[in-house]
Amino acid sequence: MSTPDISRRQGLHWLGAAVAGTALPALAQTAAAAPGAKRLVSLSGALTEVVYLLNAQSLLVGTDTTSLFPEAAQKTAKVGYVRQLSAEGLLSLKPDAVIATSEAGPPVVLDQIRQAGVRVSLVAARHNWAEVQEKVKVVGRETGRSSEADKLLAQLDAQWSSVQAQVAKAQRKPRVLFVLSHSGSPQVAGKGTAANALIQYAGCVNVIDQFDGYKPLTAEAMASAAPEVIINTTQGIEALGGEAAFWKRPELALTPAYAKKALVTLEASHLLGFGPRLPSAVQALHMRALQWVA
Amino acid sequence: MGSVAPKPAVELPVASRWRTPAGRLSRSAALLLGAALVLLAMVWGAASGAYAIAPGQLPGIAWDGLRSFFGGAVDSGPEHLVFLNIRLPRLLMGVAAGAGLGLAGALMQGLFRNPLADPGLIGVSSGAALAAGITIVLGGLYLPWLPRHLGSWALVAMAFGGGLAVTAVVYVLGQVQGTTRIGLMLLAGIAINALAGAGLGFLSFVSTDEQLRNLQMWLLGSLGASRWSAVALVSAAVAVSAAAALALARPLNAIALGEAQANLLGVAVEKTKRRAVMVAALAVGAVTATTGIIGFIGLVAPHWVRLIAGPDHRVVLPGSALLGAALVVSADAVARTIVKPAELPLGVLTAFIGVPLFLAMLRQFRSKV
Amino acid sequence: MSAHHRLSSLECRNLGVGVAKGPRLATVDVRIQAGRFTAILGPNGAGKSTLMSMLVGERAPQSGQVLLDGLELSAHAVEGLARRRSVMPQDCSVAFDFTAQEVVELGRYPHRHQPGAGEAQIPAQAMALTGVDHLAQRSINTLSGGERARTHLARALAQIWQPPADGAARWLLLDEPTAALDLAHQHHAMRLLRQWAGQQGAGVVAVIHDLNLALRYADDVLVLGGDAGVHHGAVQDVLQPALVRQVWGMQCDPVRSSDGALQYIFVADTALPA
Repeated sequence: MSTPDISRRQGLHWLGAAVAGTALPALAQTAAAAPGAKRLVSLSGALTEVVYLLNAQSLLVGTDTTSLFPEAAQKTAKVGYVRQLSAEGLLSLKPDAVIATSEAGPPVVLDQIRQAGVRVSLVAARHNWAEVQEKVKVVGRETGRSSEADKLLAQLDAQWSSVQAQVAKAQRKPRVLFVLSHSGSPQVAGKGTAANALIQYAGCVNVIDQFDGYKPLTAEAMASAAPEVIINTTQGIEALGGEAAFWKRPELALTPAYAKKALVTLEASHLLGFGPRLPSAVQALHMRALQWVA
Repeated sequence: MGSVAPKPAVELPVASRWRTPAGRLSRSAALLLGAALVLLAMVWGAASGAYAIAPGQLPGIAWDGLRSFFGGAVDSGPEHLVFLNIRLPRLLMGVAAGAGLGLAGALMQGLFRNPLADPGLIGVSSGAALAAGITIVLGGLYLPWLPRHLGSWALVAMAFGGGLAVTAVVYVLGQVQGTTRIGLMLLAGIAINALAGAGLGFLSFVSTDEQLRNLQMWLLGSLGASRWSAVALVSAAVAVSAAAALALARPLNAIALGEAQANLLGVAVEKTKRRAVMVAALAVGAVTATTGIIGFIGLVAPHWVRLIAGPDHRVVLPGSALLGAALVVSADAVARTIVKPAELPLGVLTAFIGVPLFLAMLRQFRSKV
Repeated sequence: MSAHHRLSSLECRNLGVGVAKGPRLATVDVRIQAGRFTAILGPNGAGKSTLMSMLVGERAPQSGQVLLDGLELSAHAVEGLARRRSVMPQDCSVAFDFTAQEVVELGRYPHRHQPGAGEAQIPAQAMALTGVDHLAQRSINTLSGGERARTHLARALAQIWQPPADGAARWLLLDEPTAALDLAHQHHAMRLLRQWAGQQGAGVVAVIHDLNLALRYADDVLVLGGDAGVHHGAVQDVLQPALVRQVWGMQCDPVRSSDGALQYIFVADTALPA
């Protein structure tokens, strides 16, 4: 992998150094202890989705602000922003276990709830299929529904293989750009982002390969990048006031995508959540992008 | 002996124990009031929180905690754990942080001879923020040895060091031929603060999404990361600052007449200025490194003390520490219950509460400002 | 008065008066005695305030030295000096709302470790002396210019209220103490300064604008005459109409007031000196 990806991983590991170090013995412990949690808090939209897929939503006592799918999840108690958790707030829900990605923080709060006897399981964000697989396994283990999880995993693996095969058959790779709507210069996804991984999986080419993360792009740079298709989230388009308003942005006018108004939008957690809907997201992106460049 | 015209000894209007003749609260009354406010805030803070603990249980839990501290048996029921490991250290951190910020604010206002001065003027907050930003954004790539040696203390240590380093730069920039020019220091502080802000902006630009959010959250200020070791360190730093600040009260009074006059009264003006900057930097650096940026306390607390008890630094310095502690503890009690089970960043709350109160105060005492 | 007082002096030895790297306004070589009220006079720009700032040690001499009791000012310990010498500045802005009494109490700061007998009464007595005792509890920034000036005068007096233990002479230096005062208070203050010099044995040096006040109350004068040179000595000897004509460009007629004091009536002169 290129250096910036390593640095990003290093950054994640650095941030979660203490956390990861103490999480490992906890994970080892839970592997031996079979019974699942009776009260579960999920701090990731993807993990919440798996909980519902395993029909374990009765165990869910709290979720984070990104857990919005399925709709029922929106009605669970919200513990706030995953990076700024409140120890007492989490404990007031009296969970046995907390499942999260490595985004969860601050580390001191996670330590405090561990000290209170809560099992904390963290899934590292790697933006690949292995991440989704691990999420399913962790939820299965924590909800005590490992066999159902294995079945789900087999289903998802099958979906994934068929989508991969479909993508591999494509004759060409559309040149795409993921835009995070912004007031000034639009922010676009470079390397090392979830969006970039998704684009690769969908058999497209990310026109941005010069930088990492989300950065603003000038109109000229966008013109020279020349994307054929633009990807956005449905929430992003809504925030701008609809597709028509989106295409009025001056920097887009010089792109090949503008001619056909080639836009692919998906709901944000579907698109970037790296959860059980990833195969369908990849497939949707792949097919719609190909349609635009056909 | 000594008066030129033979006049009888003039009797001052009788000062009661609680009020000075000028209608202000006497020193002992003001400090007693401050201590009472801190205690009230602590009781309120102890009884509030997202986790339901019946107030009646609290004394028992506190007593158990005290016993276990001295080696007795540890009752690890959930209420005990929540109160002794989460709520209590956070409460004490609030006291220490508020005291440090209030004290530093009073020192800066005395040093700059201006009631609008704020600890941020000497650059300690922006220096801590910049160092935190560097640690969060560049730490993984350029400073991998940091977590190896300092573990989870890396961010705190860097932020503290950054605060002190930037203050030192501002201080040195204010030196002219061995004397500290306050006006120069002010300008240097403004410039360095702007530079730190730009540095933070650049770091935000090169950061990944995750790093950016972590940095943003740090900047908003929170008492959430209050483990006992952190509480002990910050309390020690604030206690040292408070002890050193005691001796500065009377010299700061004299400096209110102007540095030239204070010099002619025998005050060691340069030493006083240097000490004031160092003490403020130590207190605010330690607090900011652990809690992020909590604003307005250093500005508002000394103001209120002066309003009720007058500008004598012998009451303003300790009074601001006490009032600052009460304010932070109260604000934090609100921050962690108003949107439970989530919590609001403390820095946001102190601004929301501080600004309207400050404006109301300005309106009422327009003539005095 | 002990022998000490007669020997105590504030000496300007070849003192070059002027701002650093600026023009030389005057060269002063005089010995000012304790126990006498010395008035520093001169037209605007002659260097009176500059000289005062050098006498006080705030400004380094352009050349030469200022010696107090034979020792250079910079060689004196700051705290010890503050116990026997006080300075009333021309204006003094006070940060924050200190009351007049608190300001006067600040004058006792040098004595905080060695409080005098009747220490608690001293600020009140000083304020009574300058007539601001009824303003004790008012915030100093709400007082009029004259009241503020008298408060700072009380502070300067409070600072040297009692003679030091070793019997050394006290010094009181004032930069235009009467500038903000009204007529009655001007005379009251000048009378006070004369009494402090004569009865307390203090060395009193004040920059004054009004020649008649100097004539009436001062013992000695130090005239910075610009081109007319520096003149020092007893007031009647130095402040002759001829010198007044030379230095201030004004003709004056000496008269005796009803209480016998020498005063000058000034005559508007059509020809100004070059």
